[in-house]
Amino acid sequence: MVNTLAPEPTGRAPVPRSAGASGSAGGGSGRIRHRHRHRQAVVACLFLAPTLLFYVVFLALPLGFALLLSLSRWAGFDLGDIEPAGLDNFAGLFADGSTFLVPVLSNTLLFALGTVALALAGSVLVATCIEKLRRQGLWRTLYFLPILTTVVAVGNVWKYMYEPGGLVNGVLNALGLGSVAFLQDADTALPSLVVVQAWASLGSAILVLTAGLKSVPESYYEAAALDGAGPVTVFWRITLPLLRPSLLFVCVTQFLTGLQSFALIIVMTGGGPGDATDVAALEMYRQAFSYGEWGTASAAAFVLFLVVLAVTLAQLWFFRRKGEDA
Amino acid sequence: MKGTRRVTGRRVPWLSYLVVVTGAVLTVVPFLDMVMTSFKGPGEAGTLPYRFLPKAFDLSNYRAAMDQLDLPLLFRNSVVATAVITGSVLLTSSLAGYALAKLRFPGRDLVFRLVLATMMFPPFLFFVPRFLILVHWPLAGGNDLFGRGGAGLTVSIVALAMPFLVNGFGIFLMRQFMVAIPDEVLEAARIDGAGEFAVWWRIVVPQTKPVLVTLGLLTFVDAWNEYIWALLVSTAHPEVMTLPVGIQLLQDHVDPARTTPIVMAGLVLSVLPVLVLFLLLQKHYVRGVMLSGLK
Amino acid sequence: MTPPPRGTGRLSRRLALALPAALLVSGCAAPHRGTGRPGDPIVLTLLSHYASGVLREALQGPVDEWNATHDRVKVRTLAVEFTDLLTTFMVRQAAGQGADIVHPYCLWNGQLVRAGVLRPAPPEHAEEIRRGYGEAAVGAASVGGTVYGYPTEAQTYALYYNKRLLRAAGVDGPPRTWRELEDTAYRTTRRDRYGNTLVQGFGLSVYDDSTTVGQTLALLNAAGGRFVSADGRSTALDSPAGRAVFGLERRLVAEGASDPGVNVYQAFASGRVAMVISAGWWTGSLRAVMGGAYRDVGVAPVPVPRAGDPRATLSTGFMLGVNTASAHPREAWEFLRWLNTEKTRGKRGTPATRMSALQVAAGSLTARADDMRTLLGTGGDPNLHPFLDALAYAVPEPNGPGAQAAKSLLRKNIEALWTGQQSVTEALRAIRRQVDQEVARSW
Repeated sequence: MVNTLAPEPTGRAPVPRSAGASGSAGGGSGRIRHRHRHRQAVVACLFLAPTLLFYVVFLALPLGFALLLSLSRWAGFDLGDIEPAGLDNFAGLFADGSTFLVPVLSNTLLFALGTVALALAGSVLVATCIEKLRRQGLWRTLYFLPILTTVVAVGNVWKYMYEPGGLVNGVLNALGLGSVAFLQDADTALPSLVVVQAWASLGSAILVLTAGLKSVPESYYEAAALDGAGPVTVFWRITLPLLRPSLLFVCVTQFLTGLQSFALIIVMTGGGPGDATDVAALEMYRQAFSYGEWGTASAAAFVLFLVVLAVTLAQLWFFRRKGEDA
Repeated sequence: MKGTRRVTGRRVPWLSYLVVVTGAVLTVVPFLDMVMTSFKGPGEAGTLPYRFLPKAFDLSNYRAAMDQLDLPLLFRNSVVATAVITGSVLLTSSLAGYALAKLRFPGRDLVFRLVLATMMFPPFLFFVPRFLILVHWPLAGGNDLFGRGGAGLTVSIVALAMPFLVNGFGIFLMRQFMVAIPDEVLEAARIDGAGEFAVWWRIVVPQTKPVLVTLGLLTFVDAWNEYIWALLVSTAHPEVMTLPVGIQLLQDHVDPARTTPIVMAGLVLSVLPVLVLFLLLQKHYVRGVMLSGLK
Repeated sequence: MTPPPRGTGRLSRRLALALPAALLVSGCAAPHRGTGRPGDPIVLTLLSHYASGVLREALQGPVDEWNATHDRVKVRTLAVEFTDLLTTFMVRQAAGQGADIVHPYCLWNGQLVRAGVLRPAPPEHAEEIRRGYGEAAVGAASVGGTVYGYPTEAQTYALYYNKRLLRAAGVDGPPRTWRELEDTAYRTTRRDRYGNTLVQGFGLSVYDDSTTVGQTLALLNAAGGRFVSADGRSTALDSPAGRAVFGLERRLVAEGASDPGVNVYQAFASGRVAMVISAGWWTGSLRAVMGGAYRDVGVAPVPVPRAGDPRATLSTGFMLGVNTASAHPREAWEFLRWLNTEKTRGKRGTPATRMSALQVAAGSLTARADDMRTLLGTGGDPNLHPFLDALAYAVPEPNGPGAQAAKSLLRKNIEALWTGQQSVTEALRAIRRQVDQEVARSW
């Protein structure tokens, strides 16, 4: 296919060798450059066509529809039954007696925050330690295994391990400690989920951080060694600042994942006990597909969108400011 | 030269070993527990005191899990959906990334900003509308030209992949790496008579292979783990059920006295092929990810 | 204008076209329901939660019989587990794949009617339903006075107890009052030295709606209380009766007689729970799981607060209705009449409807009390009698438009009460605020 490409119709002769070519030729070259530009624009359109088509059908159109639904009352299935409702759905979310702000949204934020903190700390620690060992690929693969087994599998395995007769309490009892009702106690349920989510996402975070670690020039470490800096100083003064882009990436993606977590929670607690682990995605799914409250579900989704936006922008701002300090 | 860096010189880094091995044990033990539990007999799992090893290696749980799970169907659906999503994301990200990085056209910055903005939208904002769009897809699944009368695309395995075919993050990632490719290289190829497609395919794609591997891996993991959308689509049409959804349903269908061991047996069966495949391919992707150095 | 190089253009165009084209082609290959050709039989789909075990077989029997004896209309059964049933109704309806005949839990009737899923029963069928079933069953199958389907399975709540565990604790018989209930619960509870519960005196379980909400409402009704007011527009739980029930449950948990983290369905079956309040369907499942140990299981009416108080408990039920989206409603109602009202002589030779026969065969209860009495008279599990007697005094579960949402909110707050997150007063107040807001939005 590639071999049959026809040569450019305008021929290659008049094009100057240097790519910049500014002011090197007269009017003829300018016209060619204009054509060249024009052709690039056509090609760009073709290259972007699948993406843009997708965005129109699966982003712009649904966005408009979601906005419409969030401002409507629609309990049924016939599109003709959609009735305008103004801001009623949003008002309902924040009304007295609504569980949306507390505990649903607060749980969502705590869950995301907890997993980011834990996964970030864990992955930085493990990734830097792996750097000093032999057989690095093997270790990284090992840490990557949980996520490959699917979140549903991870959730089921841990749910069983947390049970009164499960592994974790078995170990506690063997150490002479009392049992903990991890998922049944409202105080421990959310932290227990955070641990599992962080555990499962450790592998991807380590992979990203390792790539960042590899891009730190060797000479920095050599210079530090000559200055007699200890490993802790090297870590705080060199490794961590230079890891900033990778850390930002891990932070942003983990936060996005955490704010939208659904599978792990429905598998492990279903939002309980009480509403101790009820999160936004779960509540939206129920409102839409159990209660048929499409409007409420869409309004809740928009509120969560604003939260996601605010959190992401805050992180970008934070890391950028830190970068200027360094 | 494996890029191994020993700052501490020739001393064995005991502390690092301790950290990494402890973490590895914590990573592996849950899976061992899963395997052990899958062999436990009725009334053996979940009773006190906890025992790690089963009394006898009872294979009947595996038989029960296989009776309840249509594993070939679940694997087929999961593999097809994941493959389609990964392939499509790699292709569209690379093409769009190239256009945004290396081609000049009016509105380029606008499109790039748009792509960045799409990453902000949480997917479930679109669940209901996207589902309804698939239901009312014209001329599909018994629908007429105006999308009425049938079930649309929701009855098709394509429905699993549709909302994930393009990934804003993928485009962003590819564009960032392609910007770094020197223009001279591309220009030289153009002068040699290569069209833009040839430039992309013969120069840009090979140069960005490590990033493609990274993006492919991340996309694969996301697609393979996808649950909420697959749950929705397979509720409407069980023939398109994926592995995660099928496994989760398993516990509703089995004898309550033996639920845990049977579910664990089902999990082992579902996890094993992926783990084996992944360990076999380990060398290839680890190198790819290392080379790409995510920015 | 310079044309783009041929190769590039062709390939890119192909890329741009390939995607939607592939989607269209694959979509067209989707299966259609029924052939639609003249002369071919009409195929009615029936979606229920009779997905596994005896109930599935029990329903398949009459369906096979119908298919063997009717050429023009055939029935095909679809089933999902109960926990997925409501979502399945909603999602399939949204996907244009709603079944012709649906078997909803009566709690959802208000929501399904509001969403336009259920079709009112034609007058002659409505008449037959009003005549053939008890008041509670007809009420549960109706919304706003209109009948929407044939009641099928009726459930009442009663106290299951393990005779062996009660005897071992020196208790002669099942408790009749709440004081006896508490006393028996504390005496039967046993723990190990790590604090793990070996035997729960009274099983409170956060496992599902049926155990969490069902047994709380059964106790509430037994104390003369109601969950929702008569007009269905506000909650009535914040009452002396509600306070008494919540207080009782909170004490049982605090004293260690109840361990809400344990799945009672498994624990009672393996002899690790002395008492639990649950519905009649459980007898069938217990008999299958427990084998010989089932002889230890006894059933008694739900205890009342003080000796001499009138009996009451909760009743729930299912019904068979016809989808608004069905293209063959007349045939669907005809099949339902055949299944639910025509009396036949089954294996036991006693006249009963096919639905009644299948419910009793599966160890469950039919909404037709007369059939139930006839069928149980010829043998069957004596443990079913208390449930049958309760049909006369049980209070039906409310079924307004937001009933499932209200029930979920109630469940969350009950769990929060059990785990000690909320005091009795806080829980009652939270339920009133949350449920009133939910119910107000749904009307």
